[in-house]
Amino acid sequence: MQGKVLYIDYEKCTGCRECELACSVFHTGASNPSRSRIKVLKWEWEGIYLPMTCQNCEDPFCVEVCPTKACHKDPELNRVVIDKDKCIGCKTCIVACPFGAPLFDKAEGVSIKCDYCDGDPQCVRFCETKAIRYIDASEMNATKQYAAAEKLLDTLPKQSIPS
Amino acid sequence: MAIGLLMHWMGYIPNGLKPVILWGPILVAIGAFFLVLKLGVKRRFLNTIMNPMTSWLSRGFYILSVCIIIGGIDFLISLLPYLNIDFEFWSWLITALDIISFIFALATAIYTGILIMSVRYVPFWDTWLLPALFTVSALSTGAMATMLVSTGYNIFTTSTGFPEQMANTLSSIEQVIIVIEALVLASYLFTRYRLKEYAMYSVQLLLSGNLKYVFWMGIIICGFLFPIILEGIYSRLHDQHFLLFLAGAFLLLGGFFIRYVVIYAGIKEEHPMQRWLENRRFLEVLNKNTDFQAYRREL
Repeated sequence: MQGKVLYIDYEKCTGCRECELACSVFHTGASNPSRSRIKVLKWEWEGIYLPMTCQNCEDPFCVEVCPTKACHKDPELNRVVIDKDKCIGCKTCIVACPFGAPLFDKAEGVSIKCDYCDGDPQCVRFCETKAIRYIDASEMNATKQYAAAEKLLDTLPKQSIPS
Repeated sequence: MAIGLLMHWMGYIPNGLKPVILWGPILVAIGAFFLVLKLGVKRRFLNTIMNPMTSWLSRGFYILSVCIIIGGIDFLISLLPYLNIDFEFWSWLITALDIISFIFALATAIYTGILIMSVRYVPFWDTWLLPALFTVSALSTGAMATMLVSTGYNIFTTSTGFPEQMANTLSSIEQVIIVIEALVLASYLFTRYRLKEYAMYSVQLLLSGNLKYVFWMGIIICGFLFPIILEGIYSRLHDQHFLLFLAGAFLLLGGFFIRYVVIYAGIKEEHPMQRWLENRRFLEVLNKNTDFQAYRREL
């Protein structure tokens, strides 16, 4: 994978949902989280908040099932885009996506999804805790590896770690 | 329409009575109109033709369009004898149209199941037995509809335009199809139950969950048992036509319920994060119960 991707660290997310507001204002002009491309999933009993958005898959199933080719790959920004002028609002992409990423915008009657705000994601700009970052795909792997290693170290008894 | 054409080729339906059984494309067109009404932006429905290479919705648009257009032309040509227009010299064209209509009528029956199956992430739908079930159900309801129309025509015109032998043949075919349909449904549910946990939940939803009344009363009793029993009685009491109409109503209702429960029982595979949380929760409970941390410290 090449290009930039959204990296989400759920441990930093406080569930303030500012990302949803920023996304909605940028794309629709309205401060309406229900029209946001990013959704903060909440597991209150666990104290976990997870901002979820399109994974921009390598081989996207939504592109395969879209009957109008409105949903297509944009290799330049390494993203999957829905062309609002071609979309007929059949919701096939919504049913097909295993992550439930595309959403139906009732106001416009079309499917919507994260498009990285054309290279300047607003959710990243407005995230106070930096739980969402827009980083290079290769850097993301390294970040995840570091995070996994740190967790592993935490589980080990302190005396067993060589100084 | 496919069953009607089959009966026509078997010699049961004379040319003059073809219009009575060829109104399938009109019903498909009405159904297609409702599909368009469900779209978010209805005026762009023609955009659906854009991606037949990978999208089953797009392929379905072509299948339904050909079924409606060719079937409609076939229907209109079958009306020509009523206008005293001789079309005997076009017989090869009519045969060709009949064959194309037959193929696309069958394709229309099969396509719906394939469209639902193509949603990979609902394990309950992800099997070729689903299109098979929908197709057999379509043949069963189609055979019943043909039987009802022909019997209704004979009653209301007080003629014997459709031979009684046709009703007997259709009734026998119908009963065999119902048994096949029940077997396909049983294999479908059995294979889904054994496959993955989410397919198993779907089957449990049908057999003992929220949809149990629709499944047992709507499909098993109303869709399978009643029609077989009523048709069995009707085959002995041919003058009691209400039995046939009652069986038809039950069977068509059963066909509707099969589609209803298959759609409503489909459960999407859970979000990976949800599974992770459930595992974490399970481990926490396990830790509390066995004092796992203390055990680890001792080690």
